[in-house]
Amino acid sequence: MAAPKVAVLFGFGINCDHETAAVFNLVGGDAERVHVNHFVSGNRSLEDFEILAVPGGFSFGDHLGSGRLMGNRMRFALREQLHAFVAAGKPIIGICNGFQVLVKTGLLPGPAAQNTPPDFVQRASLTLNDSGRYEDRWVTLEFDSESPCIWTKGIKRIDCPVRHGEGKFVMPSTTDFDALAANNQLTVRYVDPSTPVGQGITDEPLSFPLSPNGSMRNIAGICDSTGLVFGLMPHPEAVYAKWLHPDHTRNSAPGPLTSDALGEWEGEGLQVFRNAIEYVLGNR
Amino acid sequence: MTVTRVEVTPKQGEGMRDVRGDVVRRQLMADHNIKVDEVRSINGFLIKSNLEKSEITERVNDLFSDPIIEDVLTDTLFLSSTEHFPNTPDAAITIGFKPGVTDNPGSAAFDGFKTLFPHHQHQSDASISTYHTYVFFGLPEAVSVEWLSSTLHNNLIQRAVTSDAIGCLNTQWPAIAYPEKPPQTLTPPQRMDLEIPDEELLSLSESGLLALNLEEMQTIQAHYRDDAVRKSRTAVGIVSDAPTDVELECLAQTWSEHCKHKIFASKIHHIDSETGEDSIIDSIFKTHIMKPTHDMQKEVDWLLSVFHDNSGVIAWDDEWSVCMKAETHNSPSALDPYGGAMTGIVGVNRDILGTGLGARPIANTDVFCFGPPNWEGELPDNLFHPSRVFRGVHAGVRVGGNESGIPTVNGAIVFDDRYIGKPLVYCGTVGIMPRKLPDGRESHIKTPTAGDIVYMVGGRVGYDGIHGATFSSLELTEESPSSAVQIGDPITQKKMVDMVLEARDAGLISCITDNGAGGLSSSIGEMATYTDGCEIDLAKVPLKQPGLSAWEILVSESQERMTIAVKPEDCAAFDSMAQLHEVEATPVATFTNTGMFHVKYEDETVAYLSIDFLHDGVPQLQLESEWHTPTPELFTPETITLPEQAGHSPLLLRMLAQPNIASKETWVRQYDHEVIAQTVVKPFVGVERDGPGDAGVIAPIHGNPHGLVISCGIAPRYSDLDAGAMAAASIDEAVRNAVCAGINVDKMAGLDNFCWPDSIESVKTPDGKFKLAQLVRANRELERVCRAYRLPCVSGKDSMKNDYGTGEKKISIPPTLLYSVFGDQPDVRFTATSDFKNPGEKVYLVGVSKEELGASELSFMLRESGETNGIGGQVPLLPNPEMNITTYRALSTAIQSGLIQTAHDCSEGGVAVAAAEMCIGGRTGADIDIDGTGDASVWSRLWGESLGRFLVGVQPENETAFIEWMSGHPITMLGTVTDTENLTISDGYDVLIDVETTAMVEAWQKTLDMTGGVA
Repeated sequence: MAAPKVAVLFGFGINCDHETAAVFNLVGGDAERVHVNHFVSGNRSLEDFEILAVPGGFSFGDHLGSGRLMGNRMRFALREQLHAFVAAGKPIIGICNGFQVLVKTGLLPGPAAQNTPPDFVQRASLTLNDSGRYEDRWVTLEFDSESPCIWTKGIKRIDCPVRHGEGKFVMPSTTDFDALAANNQLTVRYVDPSTPVGQGITDEPLSFPLSPNGSMRNIAGICDSTGLVFGLMPHPEAVYAKWLHPDHTRNSAPGPLTSDALGEWEGEGLQVFRNAIEYVLGNR
Repeated sequence: MTVTRVEVTPKQGEGMRDVRGDVVRRQLMADHNIKVDEVRSINGFLIKSNLEKSEITERVNDLFSDPIIEDVLTDTLFLSSTEHFPNTPDAAITIGFKPGVTDNPGSAAFDGFKTLFPHHQHQSDASISTYHTYVFFGLPEAVSVEWLSSTLHNNLIQRAVTSDAIGCLNTQWPAIAYPEKPPQTLTPPQRMDLEIPDEELLSLSESGLLALNLEEMQTIQAHYRDDAVRKSRTAVGIVSDAPTDVELECLAQTWSEHCKHKIFASKIHHIDSETGEDSIIDSIFKTHIMKPTHDMQKEVDWLLSVFHDNSGVIAWDDEWSVCMKAETHNSPSALDPYGGAMTGIVGVNRDILGTGLGARPIANTDVFCFGPPNWEGELPDNLFHPSRVFRGVHAGVRVGGNESGIPTVNGAIVFDDRYIGKPLVYCGTVGIMPRKLPDGRESHIKTPTAGDIVYMVGGRVGYDGIHGATFSSLELTEESPSSAVQIGDPITQKKMVDMVLEARDAGLISCITDNGAGGLSSSIGEMATYTDGCEIDLAKVPLKQPGLSAWEILVSESQERMTIAVKPEDCAAFDSMAQLHEVEATPVATFTNTGMFHVKYEDETVAYLSIDFLHDGVPQLQLESEWHTPTPELFTPETITLPEQAGHSPLLLRMLAQPNIASKETWVRQYDHEVIAQTVVKPFVGVERDGPGDAGVIAPIHGNPHGLVISCGIAPRYSDLDAGAMAAASIDEAVRNAVCAGINVDKMAGLDNFCWPDSIESVKTPDGKFKLAQLVRANRELERVCRAYRLPCVSGKDSMKNDYGTGEKKISIPPTLLYSVFGDQPDVRFTATSDFKNPGEKVYLVGVSKEELGASELSFMLRESGETNGIGGQVPLLPNPEMNITTYRALSTAIQSGLIQTAHDCSEGGVAVAAAEMCIGGRTGADIDIDGTGDASVWSRLWGESLGRFLVGVQPENETAFIEWMSGHPITMLGTVTDTENLTISDGYDVLIDVETTAMVEAWQKTLDMTGGVA
């Protein structure tokens, strides 16, 4: 079977495009970095791809709020293509700046009722970290095992870095959160690593730096009602291999690398991307 | 055209915060101990457009404000809205840009504005200008609004409008207006009469900021007396018997110290009053840097390109080569720390992009030297407080690096009083490129031919950045020009990087270089040497605003520009690639083989200089140098009284809190150090990820554990005793740091970045001979150590005027060499970090501690506190580097083979501080005994900074194998990592130190945590 084609957006300050393409390729995808303007100009069509990834970065310098200007390009210039992509049931992931973009285009969290086509209405936001600082630090994430999110199936807890200045997830009212929670769309949260796996998730605000940004309900990432569109602030692609984990010198080094896979050196983050590839292959 | 004002402020409410205001509040507390109850912030946009105001008003929520988190008002000041600001503030300060200063949020907003109104015809001078308003509540009365405003803005580039308590009561709100640029007047090219007396030649050089000396001015004068020159000039219709202003400026840029490195190229008469040496050195650079590297190039096959390109290139494996370059941006950072530092980092990124046919920047390094952040002494006029320089430089480098998507993997911050006069801002970048391009060309070789079209790509040319190269070749004065200051625009540059790399892979680039110091004059001028000529039309150069004169266009150093040569048949493809990426690319010149640097403005020739004269016409400087050993008062630690029990314990906590040793984590964590998903050893390591990392390790090819190590060394205070020892120590430290990560010591390369005070004897610099002798000694040591280590210097830079003021008030920096190392790491799965791993781990010292406490961190600390009087004594030396490197090779291969995973460089603060840092990283205790580590005094073995040493941790099961591996090398068993909560260090039966790990963590972390917390 042909490898699923993945469009990894780049241009205008997106800067995690290389590694995001690489991790899809490591798990059997056929990823291509495509400049946003190729889709805008009609040179290329989003329709030719089966997965869309909006990587991290500083699109347009994040001036006027993170992800906002890129969000506008997508909301105004790619509206029809995106609409069709989502309607076709194809997975989308936004990481860090990509998550901010998806929130600001209104694809996340999206309309409440399942199977409602995207309406491009912004319902949430990601704002400045309470600390006021951009920081690169490792956090522990725990996933809602009941979430409809196709990207996070089977993943319980992982460590990965956050690298952002605007990662505090906010929505106007508690009822907004309750609605998402009821549908298990609060897919991934920051947790205290000293809690037992599976029991880390809490709505009570965690202290800094367990929660690196003061996010409401410790939210690190959410999905839309279908579970196909997923966004998160932390970077799972940044721990595709164990050698990228800060603790890797604290363990004895295992044996040699096999030629075609990372073997026992596979990092915890890679499963996110494998899930999507497997989803596409399983739904062809 | 009308100007519409849009203001945005964070919504108030449950869980919502005004973070920008909070940051100002916390900083006032952290830096000035001023408590303010609340600070609120407003972002403002001044939109100059021919759209109807109502059209803009309808769309504000689509662009300027985020409806979930922000409130917005159009053409109304928020401060006048009692709904949003019900309480009367004590002060309000609005800060905007001065006309013509780069306003990145403004340009981004305008880009978004065009997305919103895609069909509208925007006028050419339509634009958006941004500002911030800070509103203070509960401001102590003693704090004046003028002072507050001065701490919040830099009047070189920004303007402020304020309202004090009374103004606020009277609702006189600060309303800043759109910064209208004053019209620029185009001056036609001038004839510069050089047939004038010598004094007038000199004053012409000075008043015109040309930075040329008399001999150089006379050389130019003589050039225009040459009949052949005059005849050829007449033929092209340019004034024949004198230079135009364009030519004089072009020569001044090209011949500047900054571009030509005249001191490193000079002929030096060197006298050593100790040894009686009296000799001539014909170019320090050629003798001590270039020659050794070229000698090494004959023996290895991996040195692909050294010295002549924008960075040095080495082969990393069969498919990829890597390159590195470091630059300084000291003078601009002194005037505008934020903009100066940002242009520093994005500038050196362009050096990488301009290497070979274009390399991709993949890692940054940042090394800063500042005055002490807690400085309470006097500040000379026109200089910022060191803490402000620190904050500004850090912010500039943070924004520049983060927004470019290049991880900052390594660096250092060094403090000394003398850097108040001139901060040093070193920015380095590592790049990678495929060794062969798809079209078969080797990527490290430029392939221009006459007839190629030369494009200027990226940003436009403006009045900003005129005279940067010549200005940095002068000392800083109160009158230093603001036009030498610029702010970078990382996103414009990122778009350009994306586009250039695509063009490279498509085979469209025949030659590329960066536009940095000297602007087009320098970039096209240098590239023209390949084909021996070029013809430029300045009228084609896109400008930020009309009216720039020809010479200004030629020498302006406006940022984010590359100069790229493209074959005529590839131009169409190149143009469409630029269009896709929304990058401006304009053909402005053609390569020729006429031997001439021919500059036109439309049809008129405005400069006509032979390539030879332009590049090789500058006369060699003849300089005098004389060495005598400095004799500062001796450091006598044994005279101080210590507590009876574990008497060195308080010293350890004080040493850990010294700014030069203290944790820089709060600052470094604000850099993205792992974008690109390749950073294996991060700047902070250990169980809590807050112990010091020695070197950066990256695995740049995804899925492949082949690695690259990046490290640095710097030891400026040793120059107080001997600048030669300083250089040796810097190189050794960089190598040791790299060894800790498991570098392949047989495949590593170095960069030498010298920052020196003025070393030319003159009225301004009466001790110039000595300072030059320091440079001579530093370079001789550099050659000696690099030859012994087989460590080629593949690129470097010097900055030779790091002084402030004149006479008694003159401040000169300590002579400083930053040495950077980059090299091969065979397999990143086998590397080491400094943190102790677990109780039971055995601790070894590799190397020997000698009686070398001169200029140590301990000596400076105790002199500063008045407990001792001097820092003099034996400075750490490297008598036998050939032996050192064999030990380093043994240790590094032990790491590569997985035998040890714990290694830490032993430098500032000696064994005591190194052991403490390893406990901090591992959150462990340790029992250490320094008996048997050499014949030196207890003070030296505990605190001394002898070179060539490491502390390593070995798991008990590997101990025998480790001892065997290291046989023949100096290693000493020091003790064991413990599960107690204390570090104890003894000398046989004498307990010297007994300190709790938690106390060490606190001492180490508190000094430089200048964040004011998160509350």
